[in-house]
Amino acid sequence: MITKSPMERTPPTTAQVALSGVHKRFGDLEVLKGVDIEVGSGEVVVLIGASGSGKSTLLRIMCDLERADRGEVWVNGVPLHDRRRAPEIFGHVGMVFQQFNLFPHRTALGNVTLALLKVRKISRKAADERGREALARVGLADKADAYPAQLSGGQQQRVAIARALAMDPAVMFFDEPTSALDPELVGEVTGVMRSLADEGMTMVVVTHEMRFARDTADHVVFMDGGVVLEQGTPERVFGSPAEARTQQFLHRVLDT
Amino acid sequence: MDWSVLWSNRDLYASGLWSTVELSAAAIAACTLLGLVIAAIRTSRIPVLAQLARCYLEVFRGTPLLVQMLFIYFGAAYLGIGNISVFGAALLALTLFQGAYVAEIFRSGIEAVPRGQWEAARVLGLSRVQTFGTVILPQTRAIVLPPLVGQYLSLVKDTSIAVVIGYAELLREGQAIVDRDGHPGMAYLAIAVLYFVICSPLSVVVRRMERKAVTA
Repeated sequence: MITKSPMERTPPTTAQVALSGVHKRFGDLEVLKGVDIEVGSGEVVVLIGASGSGKSTLLRIMCDLERADRGEVWVNGVPLHDRRRAPEIFGHVGMVFQQFNLFPHRTALGNVTLALLKVRKISRKAADERGREALARVGLADKADAYPAQLSGGQQQRVAIARALAMDPAVMFFDEPTSALDPELVGEVTGVMRSLADEGMTMVVVTHEMRFARDTADHVVFMDGGVVLEQGTPERVFGSPAEARTQQFLHRVLDT
Repeated sequence: MDWSVLWSNRDLYASGLWSTVELSAAAIAACTLLGLVIAAIRTSRIPVLAQLARCYLEVFRGTPLLVQMLFIYFGAAYLGIGNISVFGAALLALTLFQGAYVAEIFRSGIEAVPRGQWEAARVLGLSRVQTFGTVILPQTRAIVLPPLVGQYLSLVKDTSIAVVIGYAELLREGQAIVDRDGHPGMAYLAIAVLYFVICSPLSVVVRRMERKAVTA
């Protein structure tokens, strides 16, 4: 019988998401070199940084799609650094992917209800009801019977958000949710995300949409070279960035 | 041409036809199931199991069905299987042989489904088995069905190999008729026609699916 230190058994803070000393390497490439982040309940944290800075990997570690090599990862009270307990997180957090990853052989409603039926094991009637509610929240109540291929990119991403929402997640993760969209479709997705933030959803968002970061985030984290270089309120990070790298990055993305 | 030879032996032809259909149907069901399981194991990358599955594929695709069938029937005693029936040996050999090809068909279908589908299902809380059944397999349909039915066609024709271990299928009955009444040309033509009768509905299904796949 292995006895565990108290640190491993209970979360160190009341934060929804708490990472400390997280390291990750892929082969020779060290992607994360010791990252600490906390996300409080109801908080919206936006991760920004150049591609390759490790922010997507960090997000994937938060929902156990990647596992940290070192460090502690607590999400919704589950220690993801504990291999045996990590799978408890599935079904309790939502993930929105850059490529949507909708199930192409199922309708919008079929996508949203699949996990309700198979994981929550509620009745078809109750699942349909909750599924339609979730679709209504993203403004797609009338698209319940459409297949993903019949929807625009923006609509597909909103279905993907509804699919995550239907499970009543404790935290929602967004991995560059608008990067695969035509520019004119970005607004409908960030609009939905903004309304979720207003409703008090805990969110961690990796994005290049600086406007969204500026007006929706409670907290902005700038990552560079696998570490958190700078963080703070959007006013602080965007208004008076302390680090030269942050200034450079913001200069580049805000000018275009 | 003396058609009466065919008619007078209609019972033998019918019983041969029935035996062939029976063996084909059982082998199609069994090799599909085996192929699915092997493909699932191969794509799961579970250490030892995946390697074993690979060995199985190499062995059964690298040796002739004829040899496999003879070995299973006559070698059964060595292997301790004891009294394997002729039907059992024929079914086992066909299943193992065709299962190897069916597994590769399923594997290519499964691998064509993007990894993001697995990831989305996983975060939603679906188990691997649930994901395989409700998310991955349905998406392989269009890729898998045409070559799968093609494989079934070759399986139906391969049942004729069971003649070597004495299974009383279509070819065997035909040979018996030739031995007794002569007219080999007529008899073998009749047998070919009967195989064609079993296979043609399958061919029609494939062609319809291929046409659908092009327009889709």
